[in-house]
Amino acid sequence: MSFFADSFSAAIDLITTFDPALYQVVFNSVSISLMAATTAGVLAIPAGILMALNQFLGKQLVQNILNTLMALPTVLIGLLLYGLFSRLGPLGHLELLYTPSAIIIAQALLIFPIMMNLAIAAVTTADPRLVPTLISLGAKPLALVIQVAKQTRFIMLAAVITGFGRAIGEVGAAMMVGGNIEGYTRTMTTAIALETGKGEFEVGLALGLLLLLIAFLVNFILSWLQQEYR
Amino acid sequence: MTPAYLLNKIKVFHQSQCNLDIPHLVIEPNQCVAILGDNGAGKSTLLNLLAYLSKPDEGELSLMGQQSKPRLSTLQRRSIGYVSQQPFLLTGSLYNNVALALKLQGISSSQRPKLTDRALQQVNLTHLASKPAYTLSGGELKRAAIARAIAHEPQILLLDEPFSHLDQSHIQHLELIIEDLAYQSGKTVIFSTHDRLQGVALADTTINLIKGQITKSPLLNVFQGQLDDRIFNTGKLCIYTSGQLLKANHVAIDPHEIIISTSVLDSSMRNHFSGRLTTISEEAGTIHLTIDCKERFYAIISIESLQSLNLSIGDNLCLSFKSTALTLF
Repeated sequence: MSFFADSFSAAIDLITTFDPALYQVVFNSVSISLMAATTAGVLAIPAGILMALNQFLGKQLVQNILNTLMALPTVLIGLLLYGLFSRLGPLGHLELLYTPSAIIIAQALLIFPIMMNLAIAAVTTADPRLVPTLISLGAKPLALVIQVAKQTRFIMLAAVITGFGRAIGEVGAAMMVGGNIEGYTRTMTTAIALETGKGEFEVGLALGLLLLLIAFLVNFILSWLQQEYR
Repeated sequence: MTPAYLLNKIKVFHQSQCNLDIPHLVIEPNQCVAILGDNGAGKSTLLNLLAYLSKPDEGELSLMGQQSKPRLSTLQRRSIGYVSQQPFLLTGSLYNNVALALKLQGISSSQRPKLTDRALQQVNLTHLASKPAYTLSGGELKRAAIARAIAHEPQILLLDEPFSHLDQSHIQHLELIIEDLAYQSGKTVIFSTHDRLQGVALADTTINLIKGQITKSPLLNVFQGQLDDRIFNTGKLCIYTSGQLLKANHVAIDPHEIIISTSVLDSSMRNHFSGRLTTISEEAGTIHLTIDCKERFYAIISIESLQSLNLSIGDNLCLSFKSTALTLF
């Protein structure tokens, strides 16, 4: 019990004294996941709106694939990207392996189906008069997508925040394609795994507490947005 | 003159059931047209077609003499203003809603403030311009939707049940706006309503829909019954017909063709009934009467006729009409 209490106390010390090494990892993690969430959001939200607005052959198949990808294990994404980005892989010449960019791509791929599905749901559950109204007002295809995104902006923002929350908490892909390099590709989750393995439980616990705080903030913003949208 | 709309062999199906079947229909420009019919008659389906919000499953539709294409050109889209039965206002103020509609129509930003102000003025909503759209009442919302639809000055205005769920003062206000658009501004105004008297009173012409099909009957004074040897028996009354059909289950009498008198007229008209006057109402400058002669008849007369006959509720009246005033179907 004293081990846990001592570690907890040391972890609080690390957080409150603003330990530079600790906050470097937090900064890395947040910036990588923010980039991943933004990249995925820019692609997934218009894709989701377009898919919801249009009928095409194979739409149900695409929907089934998206649903399957939502449950994709993160290590599998890491494995596939490792194969693509490794020196002998087809994209090896890009030299992305063990860079923050590789983690951003992995996290963006991981959260893309989640965001796209949330965007589809946002349009299909929006007021059924929204799209006919915009069309009757003369909205062309691009303007229609922009206006639908504007009218459902709180749900779309919630989709981005949900994606960010999923990205910052994943460990498998970040470890495989990031390499956990200190000050470069080390994220909160990979650092927790490493520090705990090394016996530095208090550092892992401090990062865990900060991750929990970020998760709480994400949920707080989400519930505030949902209330605003109502 | 090029018709506003020309519909040819139009059919719309829903779950293999034909919801709309119009072999041929011409809607002339600069007219006020009422689409009349009960719920489910196909009024909204027809208006959605005319607004190019849906496509017919069969047939051809042309707008201002041009055949329909999968997508309307900017100019064609600009020629139509559409207000749905339950208008949806976008987030933002009333002013923003109207201005956005102009932006979507491709109107330049320099023209938008002037056109927005004019549209709001036309529907008497200038004082609410800065109000959030969601705070508007039912009547204000309908007028706001009309402002949004007319801001870009379309040649055709389509209104789906504009008077539904409104109180009498808002209905009168809307009637004035529609009359102004149709008769002062010279637009083609097409509106649907299940209130047949109101439709007949406001419009130049009516399109009468029954189960997705157009009938010539004005859908007023429609009675069910059986036709036997030129006499249509409703079960309560026998109506003389001109014998244009041998078989029919419905008869309709145009309320404009019914002559009202305080005593039986000596005339060539074959149908005379007497009954009690139950309602008198005014609609768009005409007087609507309801007379209970075992069956309930609607008649439309002028204000001068009302004054000269000196009518009041409960009076016993005679109504007469020619057998040629009937529509059998």
